[in-house]
Amino acid sequence: MFDEIDPRSPVPLYAQIAARVRMAVAAGELAAGESLPSVRSLSRTLRVNPATVVQAYRDLAADGFVDLRHGQGTFIKEVPTFVREEERELQAAQMVRKLLQDAARMGIGVEELAHAFKTEAGVEIRE
Amino acid sequence: MNSAIELSDVGWKAGKSFALKDLTIRVPVGSIYGFLGPNGSGKTTTIRMLMGMMKPDHGKIRVLGLDVPSEMPKVLARVGYVPERPHTYPALTVGEQMRYHASFFKNWDEGWGKELIDRLGLDPARKIARMSKGETGKLLLLLALSQRPDLLVLDEPTDGLDPVVRRDVLTAVLDYVGETGATVFISSHLVHELERICDWVGVMDDGQLVAELPMTAFKNGIKRIKVAGAPATTVENAPFTVLSREQANGSASVETWIVRGWQDPMRTYFTSAGMTLRDVVDLDLEEGFVELLRSSRPKTSYRS
Repeated sequence: MFDEIDPRSPVPLYAQIAARVRMAVAAGELAAGESLPSVRSLSRTLRVNPATVVQAYRDLAADGFVDLRHGQGTFIKEVPTFVREEERELQAAQMVRKLLQDAARMGIGVEELAHAFKTEAGVEIRE
Repeated sequence: MNSAIELSDVGWKAGKSFALKDLTIRVPVGSIYGFLGPNGSGKTTTIRMLMGMMKPDHGKIRVLGLDVPSEMPKVLARVGYVPERPHTYPALTVGEQMRYHASFFKNWDEGWGKELIDRLGLDPARKIARMSKGETGKLLLLLALSQRPDLLVLDEPTDGLDPVVRRDVLTAVLDYVGETGATVFISSHLVHELERICDWVGVMDDGQLVAELPMTAFKNGIKRIKVAGAPATTVENAPFTVLSREQANGSASVETWIVRGWQDPMRTYFTSAGMTLRDVVDLDLEEGFVELLRSSRPKTSYRS
């Protein structure tokens, strides 16, 4: 699940881990009551500092996505539908922002992107 | 005590060619501190000083709140040290070397040492002289970890090791940190491998510390930006530090800058200064490291 964590990205690793979990919750990939890997085992598999995982889990708890039960583990909380939808919107906006940045760097305009969107996804983007 | 390692104004001169210049280093307790720098920048010399093996000409060193070198025995009891070159005896077996080493440390954890032998895949009956570089590297780490240190000082622990062994070594370090919360001071010129694990970075060049900051600040603070309409003179009043300026490829009016201390709201600076910001490109740790060194050196000596 954490395959796409990228240590070379300027986004801090803890933020990447937390974002990945929020995305999984929003997409229904993780259901309420399911547990996340322990700090030590995730730090081991991702080969990151344990403090990084701790910070990711703390942020998730502060955002109401998980429950830190001392000595038992970290569990996904029941997240209201509107929060999940907000999260999906946020992720979508980020993807588009990145796409636009990459396109601008290569000198590809919005019209060309809209055209590509139509041929690739069959959806028309209107102003 | 908030610093596990504290160097204040440490200086040392070796003839005319090399000197450590007023080194001030702070390694926060519980951090994994990556000590970066090219070969010959003074990393190993610094480590030898904080291990009490060399004496600085001036300056103060404290390790785990204790004075170096006057309280050295107390320091050594709590610090696991992996030196750059093996300090083991070729004639001994792994098991014998462990027993020899154990006699010096009162916190030595025999049970854990045995577990580490299994985890790292070492053979206690094997003669050290017969071991590969990778096996020796694992043994050195095992010796340092088995004394249950509060601080691990690792001098290029993975240099010259193959990727599988490198991974085993780093995983063993992370396991130990996860379990104990120990502080790790790790020197390396293999920048990528530190990118995942460190939360603090110190960069050495030519006997000086050219940067010391949290990893996230290091990675987010150094950017490559494209600027149009830049003045020919030095840039003044910029909210960031300009490390280097050169003409961008294929365009006379656009320049590529490497800047330090960048934050996104600083975009507004360019309009107010009559310039246009065309692009902001993220650098990874290695690129940031190279750019930082390039800017800290005299112009002619280092060009990409």
